Amino acid sequence: MTARFVRTQKEMEGRYEDVWVLVDEADDVESWAPDADLALVGRPAPRLDGAARAAGRVRFTVDVRLAGMLHAAVLRSPAARGRVRSLDLDATLAIPGVRAVLGPESDLSLTTRAPLLAAEPGYAGQPIAVVAADTLEAARAGVEALALDLEILPHVVDAQEGLNRQSFTTDPSDDARGDAEAALAAADVTIELALDTPAQVQTPLEPHAAVASWDGDTLTAWVSTQGMFSARDELSRAFGLRKDDVRVRTEFVGGGFGAKQGAGFEALAAAELSRITGRPVRLVNDRHAEQLDGGRRAATRQTIRLGARRDGTITAIDADAVIAMGQGGWVFPVLIPARTLYRCADVRALTFPVKTNLRAQNAFRAPGVMEGTAAFEQAIDELALALALDPLELRRRNHADVDQVSGLAYSSKQLLACYDRAAELAGWAGREELREPRGDGLLRGMGCATQIWWGGGGPPSHATVRLDADGYASVITGIQDIGTGTLTGAQIVAAEELGLPLDHVRVSGGDTRPNVYGPVAGGSQTTPSVMPAVRSAAAKVRKTLLQLAGDVFEIAAGDLEIRDGRIRSRDGAIDVEVTEVTGKLGDATIDGSGSRGPNPDGFVVHTFGCQIAQVAVDPALGEVRVERIVAVHDVGRIVNPLTASSQVEGGILQGMAFALTEELVVDPTTGVPVNAHLDDYKIPTIADVPEIVIDYPHVPDANLPNVGAKGLGEPPIVPTAAAIANAFAHATGRRAGALPLTRDRVIEALA
Amino acid sequence: MRIESIVLEVNGQRHVVEPAGRRLLAVLRDDLELLGTKLACGEGACGACAVLVDGRPVNACLLLAEAAEGHEIVTIEGLSTGRSSAIQEAFVAEDALQCGFCTPGQIVSATALLERVPQPTRAQIHEAMAGNLCRCGAYPKIERAILRAAGGA
Repeated sequence: MTARFVRTQKEMEGRYEDVWVLVDEADDVESWAPDADLALVGRPAPRLDGAARAAGRVRFTVDVRLAGMLHAAVLRSPAARGRVRSLDLDATLAIPGVRAVLGPESDLSLTTRAPLLAAEPGYAGQPIAVVAADTLEAARAGVEALALDLEILPHVVDAQEGLNRQSFTTDPSDDARGDAEAALAAADVTIELALDTPAQVQTPLEPHAAVASWDGDTLTAWVSTQGMFSARDELSRAFGLRKDDVRVRTEFVGGGFGAKQGAGFEALAAAELSRITGRPVRLVNDRHAEQLDGGRRAATRQTIRLGARRDGTITAIDADAVIAMGQGGWVFPVLIPARTLYRCADVRALTFPVKTNLRAQNAFRAPGVMEGTAAFEQAIDELALALALDPLELRRRNHADVDQVSGLAYSSKQLLACYDRAAELAGWAGREELREPRGDGLLRGMGCATQIWWGGGGPPSHATVRLDADGYASVITGIQDIGTGTLTGAQIVAAEELGLPLDHVRVSGGDTRPNVYGPVAGGSQTTPSVMPAVRSAAAKVRKTLLQLAGDVFEIAAGDLEIRDGRIRSRDGAIDVEVTEVTGKLGDATIDGSGSRGPNPDGFVVHTFGCQIAQVAVDPALGEVRVERIVAVHDVGRIVNPLTASSQVEGGILQGMAFALTEELVVDPTTGVPVNAHLDDYKIPTIADVPEIVIDYPHVPDANLPNVGAKGLGEPPIVPTAAAIANAFAHATGRRAGALPLTRDRVIEALA
Repeated sequence: MRIESIVLEVNGQRHVVEPAGRRLLAVLRDDLELLGTKLACGEGACGACAVLVDGRPVNACLLLAEAAEGHEIVTIEGLSTGRSSAIQEAFVAEDALQCGFCTPGQIVSATALLERVPQPTRAQIHEAMAGNLCRCGAYPKIERAILRAAGGA
C-alpha cells in the first residue's frame, strides 16, 4: 500500500464538504473501455440472496429474537403541540412485566443533541416516554398506565401561516446570479406557475426498528437503517464509547427510501433501556407510529416565473419555495432544478424553510429535487406553450453545457441522447394524434420532463477480497443492501475482475464488525462509491494470483490471464482451472484490500435523464390513468441491468403516486395527520402500474474511477410527477394548482 | 384467568398453542417462531402477513388465532421446504423483489392464485395481487414472474 492523504470535496445529495481522504496509489486501476468485452458487468444477474428472500428465510431487524429480550412501547404525543403536566411512572412500574420506564425527566446515561423524550412535544407522534417489559402487551399496558396529562398548546401546521409569522427552522436563503428581475422585465415572453406539492411519507414496509444488547461495556445493535456506520458512530457518541465497542448489524432492511438514517430514536432508546435493565431490548414502530414519525418529504408551495426570448432562449428564472419543514431537519434543495437544469445567467431562487408543528422533514428519495422538478418542469412546459414550441425542443435549445452554479464542466452528460431515445421510444412525433378521441370518452396526452441529480459517490469506501484454495472468493463490504441489489453488484464487479464465475464469489455486508467502511445507502452513492473499491481489491488479488501462477508454470505473470475460472497463457500452452494454482494455498488465502479514490477535480458529477408519460383522463370521474412511461437515464455504466430496471420501476411508481394519490393530510384544527395508516395513505398497488419502458445511453463516465458507474436509486423518481402533470395538461388543456391530481382536484381543474 | 389451549395445524404439523385473544400472526411469529410471515401494518391493508388458510390467502394480522383452529394453515416456510417452487424461481429470475419484506406475502398470494387459476390473465393477476403492497415497486416484475411461472412468458 502506498498511502497518501488527499484533500478533496465530498458530495452527498448536493451538500459538499471538504474532507481528507486516504488514497492508496495501488488502487489506480484503469477503467474498462466503453466497448470492453466484459463477461459479467452489464449483463443481467439475479440477486445473490434472491432465493433466500423469496423463501422468507432472511432475517430483518424485526425478526431478531434474543434470549431474555424485552419489548419496548412508546408513548407519543397525541397533539401537535403541548406541555406534559404529569406522567404516572410509578403506576407503570407497578404493571406486571414492566422492567423500566423513561420519561422526559428521567436521568439518562446517553447524551443526544436534542432530548430523546419530549416534555413539550412539538408534533403529533413525538415520543414522550418509553416502557420496556417482558412482553409487548405489558409494555403497551405500561404506556396506558402513564396516564399522560398533556396541556394542549396552539399549533401551526399550515406553511402559509408559518410564513406569515416569519417562523423559520433556519434563515431563508437567496441563491441568485445575475439580475432575474431585470431579465424578466426585458423578456419577450413570460409565464408564471404556482404549485403546491404534497407531504409524502416514505412508508417502508419494515418500520423503523432496533434491538439493542449490551455485553459489559460493548453494545450490539441490530438496526433497520440505511447507514449502519453512521448508526455505529451515533451510538458510540451517545454512550461515550469507542467506535469499535459498538457493533451495528443491518443485514436485511425492509425498505428505507431515505427515512432510515443513522441510529434513530429506536436504537438510542432501545440501547438506553437495555443498559438500564441488563436485558436485550426490542423497539419496533407500529404502522401508525411509522407513518407519523418515520419521516416525510415536506409539503411545498412553489412559484416559478420564467422569461424567454421569442426563439425559446430562457433569459430569466425567478423561483421561490416555501417548505413546511416541521420541527426542523435538512432544508432540501428544492430549487436545484430551477438553478441548474437549463442555461440561464439571470436567476433568483428564494427558499423559505417554515417551522411547523410536524415531525422534522427527513430524506426521501431525491429529496427536494423531485418536488422542485415537479413544479419547475411544469413551468417549462407552460413556457413552451406560450412560445408555441415543442416542449422537448425548448429543453434541447436551453441545454446547459456546464454547471450553471459553479461554471465547472460535467464529468459526463448524455442528456441530449436521453431526449432523442425517449422521444423515439414514446412516439413523441405522434403526440398530437394521441389527443384524437378514441370513442372511450378519455382525454389522452403526452408530457415529458428532464431529470438532474447527483449520484457520483466518492470516498471513503473500502472492500476486502479473499481468495481461497477452492478458487472461491469472499468479498467483505460495508454495504447495507436495502433492496437495491448492491451486494449483487459487488459480486458481479469482483467476479469480472477476478475472472471467476459469478457463483464462485460470495459477498458480505450489513455488519460494522469487520470495520470495512461503506457509505450510507443514500444519495445514489453506493454503486459509484463501493464498486470501484471492490474492483481495486479484486485487482490486487488477481495480480497476486497471476504472480503465483507464474511461479507454478514458470512463466511471466504478464503472459497469463484469467477468465471463466481458468488461467490461460496468451500462447494457449497453459489452460487450467484456477484451482491448479489456488489448490496449493492450503489454508492460506490471497487477500486484497481496495479503497475508493476521490472524484476528479474540476468537474461536477451529475446524472441526467428524460421521462415521457402518456396519460388518459376520465373527465367525468376525474380519474387520471397513466398508460405508459418511458424512462431514459444517463447513469454511466450499468453494472446489472436486471436490478437497475427494478430501481427505475420503483422510482417511477413512487413518483407516479406523488403525482396521483399520495398525500399526508393534516387536520388544520388539531394539527394531527388524519391518514397515517396504510388503508388511507394511498401507495400504489399492482393494479395501478403503467407500462414502463426503460433504456440508458450506456456511456460509462470516463472521469469516475475504474468502473464509470453513477448511482441510480434517485434519478428515476425525479421527473415522473412532472411528466405526468405535463401529460395531463396536454390531454386537458388545464393544470391543477396542486399535486396529487386527486379526483376532486381534476374535476375542479376541468370545470 | 384460565388460558384455553387450541390446536393449530401449520405446515402439516399440529401445534398446541395458547392464543389468549391474539391474532394468528402473533402466534405464528412469537410462539411458533415462523418469522417469514411479516407484520407491516397490522390492519389488514398490506398483505405482508398473508398465509394460506385451506388454500386461500388470508391476512394473518386480522384473523384471531382461535378462528384458525380446524383449518389447514400454510406459511411461506411451508411453501419453502425443499427446493424453490416455480413461482419462487420466477420471482428470483425476474427480480420480482427488492427489499424482500413483502415477498413472503406476495409468494403466498401468487401461489394461491396459480392454484386456482393456472393461466391467469393480467387482469386476474391485478385482482388477486392488489391486496399485497410493495413499496419498492416490484409490481411490473411480480406480474412477469407470475406469468412466467404460469408458463405464459
